[in-house]
Amino acid sequence: MSASAETGAGTVAALRSRRLSRLRRLDLIGLVITLTTVAAAVLWAFPLYWGLVTTFKREYEVVRPVVQLWPEHFTFENYLHVLLQTKIGIWYLNSLITSSAVAVIVVGMAAGAGYAISQLNFPGRRLFWWMILASFMVPIPALTVNHFILMSQFHWVNSLPGVIAPQLIAPVTVIIYKQFFDSVPKDFREAAVIDGANDFQLLFRIYLPMNWGITTALAIITFIGAWNLFLWPFIVVNTEEKMNITVGITQVHDAFGVSYARDLATAMLAALPVAVVYLIFQRRVTQAIMLSAGIKG
Amino acid sequence: MHSVELRHVTKRYGAVQAIGDLSLTVEKGSFTALLGPSGCGKSTLLRMIAGLEEITEGQCFIDDVDVTDVPPAKRRIAMVFQSYALYPHMTVRQNIAFSLSIAGASRKEQNEKTTTVARMLQLEPLLDRRPAQLSGGQRQRVAIGRALVREPQVFLFDEPLSNLDAMLRVQMRLELAKLHQDLGTTMIYVTHDQTEAMTLADRIVVLDKGRISQVGTPLDLYNAPANKFVASFIGSPGMNFFGVEVKGVADRRAHVELPGGRSADIPVHSADVAAGPAELGVRPEHLTLVAADDPSAAFKGTVAIVEHLGNSTILYVDTPAGQLIVEGEGNLSLKSGAAVGLALETSRAHLFDADGAVA
Repeated sequence: MSASAETGAGTVAALRSRRLSRLRRLDLIGLVITLTTVAAAVLWAFPLYWGLVTTFKREYEVVRPVVQLWPEHFTFENYLHVLLQTKIGIWYLNSLITSSAVAVIVVGMAAGAGYAISQLNFPGRRLFWWMILASFMVPIPALTVNHFILMSQFHWVNSLPGVIAPQLIAPVTVIIYKQFFDSVPKDFREAAVIDGANDFQLLFRIYLPMNWGITTALAIITFIGAWNLFLWPFIVVNTEEKMNITVGITQVHDAFGVSYARDLATAMLAALPVAVVYLIFQRRVTQAIMLSAGIKG
Repeated sequence: MHSVELRHVTKRYGAVQAIGDLSLTVEKGSFTALLGPSGCGKSTLLRMIAGLEEITEGQCFIDDVDVTDVPPAKRRIAMVFQSYALYPHMTVRQNIAFSLSIAGASRKEQNEKTTTVARMLQLEPLLDRRPAQLSGGQRQRVAIGRALVREPQVFLFDEPLSNLDAMLRVQMRLELAKLHQDLGTTMIYVTHDQTEAMTLADRIVVLDKGRISQVGTPLDLYNAPANKFVASFIGSPGMNFFGVEVKGVADRRAHVELPGGRSADIPVHSADVAAGPAELGVRPEHLTLVAADDPSAAFKGTVAIVEHLGNSTILYVDTPAGQLIVEGEGNLSLKSGAAVGLALETSRAHLFDADGAVA
């Protein structure tokens, strides 16, 4: 082999070896990043896992000063106890009724209000809109006492309507609908007006169907919010028959003393329906959260 | 009987006047185009006829019935929008039948009328598709179908071909012309495209800044524009304009001195045309190319740019009157820089006074 050919071959080999070592470094960095991400995920998910696995343990296993990642004696007794010995069925039903009612009424009213502000011309429209925007400045928990007095005056304390009514205040939903209805091109409205549609027909046959994705997203997130609500139902309801699931699980604690496995089993059962709803509709939920965050931000 | 009549109609948006004291009649069964540049008020006028805009002052009549305060749905009109406005969540069938469904027609009647209209517009294979699955031309036909099914007395079109490509536009123009022939219904068509107006309309209403500049047949507007605005708007390539000096008027002909020293006798309508500066308009096809030293040449010039269109040649010629556009035969072999003479067909020239009105 000539000297120049040897030099050429040597240069190629050196380049190849440099490229390989760069790739090895990249692989190593990638591996470190992956491991770090996995560790973070495990740290985040571990409490959920720990809570879930605890529900399948006997109480004595839970209070032992030993970390047991898997039950020694796998049991469903905690779930069976909660399902058979408490009024969890009624609590589920109450949660389902109140959350569904809140979701349907909020979405229905917000769509109507959003449509009116967006599309109709009436005296005080601007003032009405500013009032809705201004209501953002008032945190709902600050109105708890007022709501209780109001529900008392309506004779709705310890009743499902009493749980539902204050939850119907949802300015965010109105604002979102107004924004989406504003973005519907004017031509659609005018074409429908020429075709003879009145405002109700415009709302239900044109505007809502064109924004069906938003409607389902808002309905789901409103349902989840209402299901998970604790403070107001806890204040307004004082009998087990009227409690929803979030309040009812506190009764399990009160009635049977501190029983970690049972308490966690109750909490898991309380969270299960919304977890399932979220898993099925997670795209819509994310969309709705992004919409509300956009407004609040 | 007039199909549509507007009497002294004015439209104001606050302090801004969009339409000023406009009166117009549209004959029954005619195809009338409202033509003008953007912002001239043509769409506003159409929307006032449709009832989508309130008339500030004046009245609107459809078939001799005062509809000034009548809601759009009760005016027996149908409108085709520039964007088609097809409901995206409905199928073609549902879009076409929408007005029938709102009116409470039975399913049977809705199906029958929808099928008839779909057959007329060759939409039958597309009835179960949604607008997003249609081409531009198909959407246009669905929009027309939705208007047809209402059996209106007046069709209103708001620049319906603007969103189509050039070839499709030509095709749809033919379809619209055929539709008008078949139905004989009054059609009012808004456009800024003079080719559409000239090819489709029986009558053109040229609008400028909310007022009517001229109403006439396409050939009337082309051959006898009433003012400089109409003269410049109609015709492609546009009319040439240059300053002249009126020396005198005799026998309804104004003797004018052209830039470059030559003179010409231009026919005028009025006997009392004032001497002094005026403007002369000549269409590109009324300037003829002659030899540079030809005594009949009104101007001598140099060819700046040549555009070969196949059936004709457009030349931009620098002359003492400025750059003039000349339309010549398709087989011209002139090149940039060539010296030419331009003869003027004086009988087809138009003299405009200082206000832009034809003299």
